[in-house]
Amino acid sequence: MIQVQNIRKEFELTKKQQKENNTTDKVALAVKDVSFECQPGRIFSLLGPNGAGKTTTLRMLAGILKPTQGSIRINDIDIQKNPNEAKKDIGFLTGSTGLYERLTANEIIEYFAKLYGVSKSDYEERKEHLYTLLGMHDFQEKRIGRLSTGMKQKVSIARTMIHDPKVVIFDEPTSGLDVITAENIIKLISDCKTQGKTVIFSSHIMSEVDLLCDDLAIIHKGKIVLRNTMQEFRDNMQTDSLTAEFIRVINENN
Amino acid sequence: MIFTIFKKELKDTLRDRRTIIAMIVVPVLVFPILLGLSTTVTKYFAEKQKEEVLNIAVISSDSDNQFTQRLSGMPEEMGPKTLVFREDTLGLKEEIQDDSIQLAFVIPSDFDAQQDSNQQSTIQVYHKGVNVGNKDRVRTYLSEIENSFLLERFDRLNLDKTLIEPINEEYIDISSRKEVIGKLAGGFLPYLFIIFGFIGCMYPAIDLFTGEKERKTLETLLTTPVPRWKILVGKMLVIVLSGIAAASFALLGMFVGLRVFDVASNPEIKAIIDGILTPTFILALLILLLPLTIFFAGIMIPATIYAKSFKEAQSVLTPVNFIIIMPTFVGFLPNIELDYTTAFIPIVNIVLATKEIVAGTIDPILMVISFMTMVAVAAISVLFSYKRFGKESNIIS
Repeated sequence: MIQVQNIRKEFELTKKQQKENNTTDKVALAVKDVSFECQPGRIFSLLGPNGAGKTTTLRMLAGILKPTQGSIRINDIDIQKNPNEAKKDIGFLTGSTGLYERLTANEIIEYFAKLYGVSKSDYEERKEHLYTLLGMHDFQEKRIGRLSTGMKQKVSIARTMIHDPKVVIFDEPTSGLDVITAENIIKLISDCKTQGKTVIFSSHIMSEVDLLCDDLAIIHKGKIVLRNTMQEFRDNMQTDSLTAEFIRVINENN
Repeated sequence: MIFTIFKKELKDTLRDRRTIIAMIVVPVLVFPILLGLSTTVTKYFAEKQKEEVLNIAVISSDSDNQFTQRLSGMPEEMGPKTLVFREDTLGLKEEIQDDSIQLAFVIPSDFDAQQDSNQQSTIQVYHKGVNVGNKDRVRTYLSEIENSFLLERFDRLNLDKTLIEPINEEYIDISSRKEVIGKLAGGFLPYLFIIFGFIGCMYPAIDLFTGEKERKTLETLLTTPVPRWKILVGKMLVIVLSGIAAASFALLGMFVGLRVFDVASNPEIKAIIDGILTPTFILALLILLLPLTIFFAGIMIPATIYAKSFKEAQSVLTPVNFIIIMPTFVGFLPNIELDYTTAFIPIVNIVLATKEIVAGTIDPILMVISFMTMVAVAAISVLFSYKRFGKESNIIS
């Protein structure tokens, strides 16, 4: 479970950034007073236009960034107070995730399994399961630099799931991917739900949201402007499509 | 966990062509190539100079004067020559300019009479200053001829040659040969190690920090339950190892160059370098290199973590490289030694300590002070790195 309470994130601005942004403020507010909960076995979608604060929020959930204020609990562990303990339960995948180009798929998966403290027997078992599921056996010994985008994304998925995380964070996971590769990600997110994992994903592709999502929140200019279950969101729509409704909510809060 | 990160980073680094070139290929090859080229070129020009037949013009109204006779009689081993006799200097400068004549002696008409009456004669020598070798040949000829005239004068006047040499100095050098060469040539070694140590650290540092940021792998690494300091230490160890490896490969290159390819023609230098390559020297050097390379890693990490691209990191580190190299020139200065002041100056102390180790005159207390000073600055640089590595604006691209 993910519990987010009144988180706020400020970034210090350098003089150069102040000049570029034409401001005298010494800090930029990226996220303000954001609160929500993601339940196990449900998919929570964080929606918002570019620059709304989605990635910053998810990076705070993953423990990459520290909130300026507020609290985040991952399966009842406070990520600020005990980040390494909380991170053991998290899998993090983004559409732009990089991989070590000079290592093979096997070497990367083994490396991350070790970093997450996965035992040798568990590692072998999970690796076999993921490789079969994703069809990775054929290129497991190939260096990442020689793989196609789709193959690389499969390695990223295996890397994210090798420690069998209870909480999975996807930040625009299908962004820039071809249809077939994106389909693999959609299936993975769906499988996570079946397995009872807590899933949060950010996107601005409404068809994906429609297909996967149980709960949603729309974030705009760093603030949550709408939070609901998917069913209630559909029921209360004032327009005829999800995309149109999303745009309406954003415009209403401009 | 640190070892897991170290192992992975090392594997990744060793598969990077740029790092391999900076860490192994260049250090191993640069010394033998430089030494081989310089000795071959010097030897070639020295031989060429020695074998070159010089056209020497002798200008005098008396072509059979004593100077000309002695000049003609110079043995072939002192350099082959052809004498051309002239009565005046007309067109001489042009001929020297276009190299049809290389040297010209203008001998006074009363040269013989001056010599017979024990007077001094002035001989003008026309030459081209840019041809240094020709001037050297003239000096050899003149010294030989002058000496023969001098001896004749002493015989004629029935005098002893010691008359013009009232003091005969004898120097008794109590320094060992190793000490002399160590102090003179020892400055070169730290220059070699520091420059290669720095370059050896530079590419892995850029690759492991700026590169990871550029490739967006650092973000993934930071989502793992590994404390940041462990990630930093694991990466830093690879950078340090690369620096030490590059410096050691430079030493190996020097050894291979001198031993296997026999590029150093001077047997004395060869013997000294062989003498330097003892287990004690190598161990002492590694002890000094360890905090030095940690210091390099410590100052490179903040720069590479700050940079947003490989190019930016390179342009930030290039001036640092010059700043680091500057103190190594102290090693070439003859009168600066390792003492209770210089031992506290980072890098300078390493340079001077290496010189003392080469010379075999290192004071153990000064060695410990130098080492501890470097350990202290290395620790400060590591702390600084840790602080910068923890800064969110640096790690998120």
